[in-house]
Amino acid sequence: MSGFRYQPCGTIDHGIARRQFMGEFLTGGAVMAGTSLFSHPVGAGELVSRGRSMVVVYLNGGISQFESWDPKRDVETGGPFREISTTVPGVQISELLPRTAQQMHHMALIRSISTDLDDHGLANNLVRSGRTTRSATEYPELGAVVARGLERADFPLPGHITTMVGGAGGRANNAAYLGPSYASVGVGAEQGGIVNAQLPDGMTVAVDSRRHDWRRFVNSRHRSRVQSAEMDAYAQSYEQALRLMEKRDLFDISRESVAVQEAYGKSEFGRQLLLARRLVEQEVPFIEVQHAGWDFHHNNFEFHLHYVADFDGPFACFLGDLAERGLLERTLVIVMTEFGRTPGINAGYGRDHYPKAWSMAAAGCGIQHGAVIGATDAKGVEVTERKVDHRHLFHTWLRAVGIDSGGQFEIGGRKFPIADPAFGPIEELLS
Amino acid sequence: MSEVTVDPKAAKLRRDYPYTARLLCCRADPTGHYVVAGATDSTVQRWDVLTGERVPLVGHENWVRSVAFSPDGRLLYSGGYDGRMLCWDMLSGAVSPLRTVTAHRGWLRCLAVSTDGAWVASCGNDRLVKIWSAADGSLVREFSGHVDLPYSLQFVPGAGELVSGDIRGNVLHWRVADGEVLRSFDAGGMFSHVGDIAPFGGAIGLSFSPDRGRVTVSGLHKVSNAPAGNRRGVAMSFDWVTGEKLPLQECRQKELDATMWRAVYHPGGLMIGVLEKEIGFWHPGAEDVFHLLTTPDHIFDCDLHPSGTDLFTAHFDGHLRCWQLQG
Repeated sequence: MSGFRYQPCGTIDHGIARRQFMGEFLTGGAVMAGTSLFSHPVGAGELVSRGRSMVVVYLNGGISQFESWDPKRDVETGGPFREISTTVPGVQISELLPRTAQQMHHMALIRSISTDLDDHGLANNLVRSGRTTRSATEYPELGAVVARGLERADFPLPGHITTMVGGAGGRANNAAYLGPSYASVGVGAEQGGIVNAQLPDGMTVAVDSRRHDWRRFVNSRHRSRVQSAEMDAYAQSYEQALRLMEKRDLFDISRESVAVQEAYGKSEFGRQLLLARRLVEQEVPFIEVQHAGWDFHHNNFEFHLHYVADFDGPFACFLGDLAERGLLERTLVIVMTEFGRTPGINAGYGRDHYPKAWSMAAAGCGIQHGAVIGATDAKGVEVTERKVDHRHLFHTWLRAVGIDSGGQFEIGGRKFPIADPAFGPIEELLS
Repeated sequence: MSEVTVDPKAAKLRRDYPYTARLLCCRADPTGHYVVAGATDSTVQRWDVLTGERVPLVGHENWVRSVAFSPDGRLLYSGGYDGRMLCWDMLSGAVSPLRTVTAHRGWLRCLAVSTDGAWVASCGNDRLVKIWSAADGSLVREFSGHVDLPYSLQFVPGAGELVSGDIRGNVLHWRVADGEVLRSFDAGGMFSHVGDIAPFGGAIGLSFSPDRGRVTVSGLHKVSNAPAGNRRGVAMSFDWVTGEKLPLQECRQKELDATMWRAVYHPGGLMIGVLEKEIGFWHPGAEDVFHLLTTPDHIFDCDLHPSGTDLFTAHFDGHLRCWQLQG
C-alpha cells in the first residue's frame, strides 16, 4: 500500500522495509549462519490438507476493537458508534461494518485476546509467530509455517505471498529456521500483472531459454564440486522467478470481469483482495493482504469512520466471493492486528495501544461459523471470559487448515515444535 | 453586543462550571442568562451564568456536537451524532425537547441560525446542508454541493446567504432562496489525509469579522503525522468582497499540536481562537498571537458572552469555563 507511509509510532513500516531488505540479502545469507536448510530434504510429516489456503488480512497499527468487533454502548469508553445486528442472531458488531455484518454466518469472533506487549514491532512479531519473544527472527511467522505445512513439491508458485499494489518486492526475512524458501514474497496487484515479468524487447523465448540452460549447467558443474546451501538458495530464487514469469497472468486482476473488479472496488485494499482471491483459486497456501495505518492516537473516531468503511466493502465482497465460488470451504481468512486500542479516550479523541483486552475475526474453513469466543466487561477494560493469547491463536489457525500444531519440524536433524508446546488451540472455535 | 474594551493579558478565570462528561461544543444565550454545552454522554447541559445552576437537557441518543440559539434566545437548537436536531424552549425552562427532527443520515455536525431567526441550517455525514424552518421544523431546502463531509456553517450576517465548509477545505457560499452556489473559497491548505483513505482537517470552524469584511476558516495545517495528532492550529481568512486569501493567523510563539476548533471575533476586532489548552488572541489581521491564555484542559469550542466581557470555553475534562477578559 504505497499510500501508507506514515509512522505514528515509528516502528512498523520501518520494520517491514528493513525486513524486506534483509530478506533479500539473506536469501543466501541465512544459510551462512549455520542452519543447513537447503542441503537437507524438507521433512514431510506435517504435510496435510492439500489445497487449503490461509489468508491473513493484516490491519497494521491496531484497529480499535470498540469500533469493530466488540462495540460498547452507552459507556464513556464506547465512543459514538453503535452496534448493529448481523446474520448471526445475537451477534452484533460496530455499525461501521454493515456489509461485513451480512457475512457473519461465515465468520467467528474472538473477543478475549489478552497479550502484554504494546509496542508495534514486538506485538506484530507476537501475533505472527505465536511465540513470546523479543527477537524478530527466532521463530518463523505464521505464513512461513503454513507455506511449509501445506507445501506441495510440484507447486509452481511461492507458498507465502504478501500482496502489494504495485511492483514486486523481494523476500522478507520471516521464515527463521525454515529458511528463505518459506519467507514471504511480495507481488503486485496492478493491472498488467507483475512488473518486469516480460522479456526485454529483442529477447526471444528461445534465447532466454538458452541463457537459463547455460546458467543451470554452470551451477550444476560447480555444485558437483562444492556443496553449498547458499548456492542452492540462489538457484531456487532464479527458478522461482522464472515460474512467476510464466504465471504472470495470475497476478493481473484486469483479467477479471469488470463487474467483479467493480464489486471489489478500486481501492488499494479491494484490488489486493481480488488478487488474493485469484491466488486462493491457485491454492497458494498463505496469502497476506495488508491494510496499514490503523494507529489512531488522535482523531480515532473520524479516522475509523473512513478506515473501517474502506475495509468493510471489499472485505465483505471477498468473503462473499469466496463463499460463492466454494473456496471458503477450504480457505481460512483471519483479520489480524497486533493489539487493540485503549478503552480510555485521550484528549485528542484518540485511543492508544491496548493489548490487555482486544479482538480478532476469522472466517472460512476449520472454524465454527457464528462463534463468539470470550467476552470483555461492559467498558471493554478486562477480559471476563475465556482469556486467550497469541499462542492459542497460532495453534488454532494452524489446526483450522489441517496442520498439526502439536507437531514438529525436523530441520537439519533438529526438531522444532511447530507452535508453542505449552499451549493449544481454542478447541471450541474449531469445527 | 456592546463595544467593550478587553485586556487579554489581564484575563483570568471568572467561573468554573463543572460537569462529568467531555464537552464538545458551547454557546452563550444571546440574552446573557444561560450558557449551554453539548456533551459526549448525549446530553445538553444548561447553566445559569450567574448562579451556576446546572440543568441537563436529555433527548439525544449520541454525542451532542453542535448547539445554537435563536437570536432572541428563546429557542435552543442542538444537533448530535444521532443525526437529529432537537429544539428546546428556553423560556419555559422545559427539560424535554419542544421538537425533534431527524435531520441527517449519520452524524449531524453543525448547526447555525440565521440572523433573523427564520432558518436553522444543519449539515451532516450525508454530505448535505439543510435549511429548516425555525417556526415549525419543516425542511425548507436541501443543498448537495459538498463532495466530502461538511463540517461548519455560518449564515452571512444580514443576508439570506450561508457559508458552509467541508473536510477538504472547500467553503461554499450559498444563496438560501434558491440554493445557488454564488462562489467558493479554497481553504485546501487546511486539508490533509491519512493514506488515500481518511481526510483530515478542513474547514472546521467558520466565522465573520464584526464588519463582515472577512470570513475566517479555522482548523489545522502543517500536518506531519495525522494519526499521532502532529499538526498546527490555523485560521485562514478571505476578504469577503474580493475573495482574496489573507495572511494566515497562527500561533508562532509556542509550538502546539492543536486544531483551532473555533475562532470568534470580539466586537473590538480581536480574533480569539482556541488551540489545545490555550486561548489565543490576535490583533486584527495579525499573523501571530499577541497573547496566549493557558487553561487547565483541552478546549473544543468557545463563545463570547453577549456583553463581550467574557469568553466561555468547553473542555475535554467536562468543565465549562468562563474567562473574564477585562482583568
